[in-house]
Amino acid sequence: MSAVPAPGDVVLGRRQLFMLPTRFGLIFALLLVVQLLTAINYGNGLAYALTFLLGSLAVVSMLYTHRNLLRLRLSAGACAPVFAGEIAVFRAHLANDDSTPRFGVAVLHDKKEIASVDIAAHDSTDVEIPVTTSRRGYLAMPPVTLTTRFPLGLLYSWSRRIGLGQSCLVYPRPAEPVPRQTREDQTPEPAQGMKAGGDDYIGVREFRPGDSPRHVDWKAVARGETWRVKQFGGGYQATLWLDWDTLEGLGAEERLSVLTRWVLEAERDGMLYGLRLPEISFPPANGEQHQHECLRALALFGLKP
Amino acid sequence: MNTGIAHRPVLHSLLAAGAGAVAPHILELPLWIIAVFAIGAAWRYACEAFQWYRPGRFVRLTLMLLILVAVFRQYGTLLGRDPGMALLITLLGLKFLELKTQRDFVVSLFVFYLVILGSFLYSQSLWLGVWALLAVAACTAALMHLMQPAGMDLRRRLRLSGMMIAKALPLMVIVYLLFPRISGTLWGLPADAHSGLTGMSDTMQPGSIRSLSESSEIAFRVSFDGASPPARELYWRGLVLTETDGRGWRRAQPIATDKVSFTPLSAPLSYQVTLEPSDKPWMPALDLPATRPKDARLQSDFTLKHNDPVRERLNYSLSSYTRYRTGAPDRAERAATLRLPRNTSARVRALAEGWRRENDDPLRVAQAALDYFRHDNFVYTLNPPLLGDDPVDEFLFGTRRGFCEHYAAAFVTLMRAAGIPSRVVLGYLGGELNTAGNYLIVRQSDAHAWAEIWTPERGWVRVDPTGAIAPERIELGLDAVRRLEQQGVVLGSLPADAVLHALELGWFEYVGLHARWYWDLTNMAWYRWVVDYGKERQERFLTSLGLDEISWSRLVSLLFAVALVLTLAYALILLRRKKSVDPALAAYLRFCRELARTGLIRAPYEGALDFARRCTQRRPDLKDHVDNITGRYLRCRYSGHDSAEELRLLKREVSAFRT
Repeated sequence: MSAVPAPGDVVLGRRQLFMLPTRFGLIFALLLVVQLLTAINYGNGLAYALTFLLGSLAVVSMLYTHRNLLRLRLSAGACAPVFAGEIAVFRAHLANDDSTPRFGVAVLHDKKEIASVDIAAHDSTDVEIPVTTSRRGYLAMPPVTLTTRFPLGLLYSWSRRIGLGQSCLVYPRPAEPVPRQTREDQTPEPAQGMKAGGDDYIGVREFRPGDSPRHVDWKAVARGETWRVKQFGGGYQATLWLDWDTLEGLGAEERLSVLTRWVLEAERDGMLYGLRLPEISFPPANGEQHQHECLRALALFGLKP
Repeated sequence: MNTGIAHRPVLHSLLAAGAGAVAPHILELPLWIIAVFAIGAAWRYACEAFQWYRPGRFVRLTLMLLILVAVFRQYGTLLGRDPGMALLITLLGLKFLELKTQRDFVVSLFVFYLVILGSFLYSQSLWLGVWALLAVAACTAALMHLMQPAGMDLRRRLRLSGMMIAKALPLMVIVYLLFPRISGTLWGLPADAHSGLTGMSDTMQPGSIRSLSESSEIAFRVSFDGASPPARELYWRGLVLTETDGRGWRRAQPIATDKVSFTPLSAPLSYQVTLEPSDKPWMPALDLPATRPKDARLQSDFTLKHNDPVRERLNYSLSSYTRYRTGAPDRAERAATLRLPRNTSARVRALAEGWRRENDDPLRVAQAALDYFRHDNFVYTLNPPLLGDDPVDEFLFGTRRGFCEHYAAAFVTLMRAAGIPSRVVLGYLGGELNTAGNYLIVRQSDAHAWAEIWTPERGWVRVDPTGAIAPERIELGLDAVRRLEQQGVVLGSLPADAVLHALELGWFEYVGLHARWYWDLTNMAWYRWVVDYGKERQERFLTSLGLDEISWSRLVSLLFAVALVLTLAYALILLRRKKSVDPALAAYLRFCRELARTGLIRAPYEGALDFARRCTQRRPDLKDHVDNITGRYLRCRYSGHDSAEELRLLKREVSAFRT
């Protein structure tokens, strides 16, 4: 909640804000004209006073409308990577560093209102901006516009389009499941033997006295089947090389799609897998970080950094 | 924008705003019109709260036609002020049933603003102004509610709308004072624009002044340039009645003359009159006026007549002479002021002729008549008995109880019977001196009738027969007479100091009277700056600013310039970044600045306790002060509970601290 904007934050200043009357504002102006004509025709002091009061109210409301957006601080939140074709969800973080609350701040993307939020004094809020993805690579966060009609709806203030410099990594679209092709000399082999006692579920065997009751497959017991014990293993069953070159005959994008699918499957199956691309290769490993590195390499393959 | 909105909470706001806007019209419009509005509002409320039947388009259209017909039947037209307001309010009631989109609500609210304005066409009182301000606040808060249906609670809406209005008011005042006013109207006013004004009629029937005396409405106000003359000289001449049929008295056709045809015998008195609208052309002036205001004629009977009936409060300056000698009436006038109705009874004629035989001087004849009133059991009363076809005869020989009009009519009849030219003068007598603003308030109840007789030596001479019978009326005013009568005092019977004693005010009445005076003063200011602030007043105001003869366009530029400056000032206040520094921190920082002068500078990373430790090492002599202030500062900032007392002590110690 620091009042000093971090780099990358955008603080709305006077020059970024614009204002015009709304349709209600124009109707209100018409009302004032009618009132003024009545006041003049009747020479009615109070009618003059009311007309000018309402006019002044509109002028004062202009300041309030402007203030409602002024000095709002925008920053981008993290955006989780998605696969092409999925919806990337960007987060705009709207912070109010002032001691006056903001009401009815609308966030516009692509001329459509995504959300309308109130932000209390010294508070902030997040607005999600969903964007449909189509291509792999980095997707830049679309610029957003902040608008408000606060407080009387007579005036409409909007900011210029604000790009927050955030982008979202889009992995290639995973291909339909394809049988895994591997190079012959790299037939997956058990690298190490099975090693019980790990965390990963690897199968069941007959119950033997002395087994931990925590590992008994109680659901099966409840079904009246024989007692079995779940076995967990920490070792990886196989090492697998996922190789660009095995996919000869396919286009580059298709190869990337297929490789993406394989990475996902290998990770799912708990295998040790490596990825070999024409310019870069990742030695066999396993885990979320490894998967992400592989997928990022696939996403950015051939794209200019 | 045409989205449906959460109806029920917003409807509450709209109902409150509508009630505020329509309420003043209860006093002016037929009750059924207000009822239609209320029923529409209540119906819609029931729809939201109890899921009542909500009429469809066809029903609403039928209701609208019915309303149009009803309004037309009420007024015979759909145009003009009253039918216009009636239509606006009834259709707003119907509109409640139709409200669906945000736009419907907003349009309703905008029309509420118009309805508030409409109430000013009936009255421009101070109270209505205050009420309207509240109604505008309610409408504005409702508008806010419409725009932010969820985010702001009621208190916040009311506060913001109040704050916005408070900021708008100074801006409004500037535009209000400087916006160029025109004289006259743009299209002419509808026929019903002026109604319900009271004023003195141009005839006098028995009982006509009596009925006026019931009204405490203000007729006019006067401020004298110097001291105001004594009450017995405050005869405000309204109109002169010459012709009579024995019962009623009427004006003769006087000749308009702008030449003053009398010789003043005293110094002139200058004064300003603020005349309330009466729908009559008479302009009261102190006996006798020597000048004529704008748009008015001075007539041969020394009365002032406005060119048009007075329908707006009128302000004029006059000068009068309370002592004078007039010339002789011309032949026609003399004949008219001697003419007696044929039905004048013989004993009335005989009475007057008897006096005339005994006295040659008209003034002595008049004195005889006054003596007759004084000594022959005549009574001045506010509740005289009703008189029949020959009121003068009945009054003189029968009831002998009467009001000023009876005495004036009887006296003039007697004088004419005695062959002395005479006439009735209708006007006001006295007035209440408002010491709060040093001006005189003359009410309709101060209406008075007196007589004038013509003598060859002095011209027209004022004779007030009421004074012979009830000097209290002349010296103390009608209000005193009323109070004396309530106490059972017979008028003219008590010595002066006993009368004054009887009239002494209790403290309660004293406070009430002064409150009334200040209230009237407030109203005067209200009239000056709001109700009567037209072209003339504006010119006077601009002259007082040194802006006389300013052109229309330069006035508008000035208006915009001043409004712009004020708006920019608001922008500076509203849009600046608000720094909220904790008062305890502010005091502590002052303390640190003081220490810094000795070279003890607190490093940015240094906490208060660390700094205190370092200070006491370097300057052991300051240990007590430093420990004390640091301790209080820490307790103020971090102890959590309210520490107003601690803060006060902290501030005091910091102020006292010297290195």
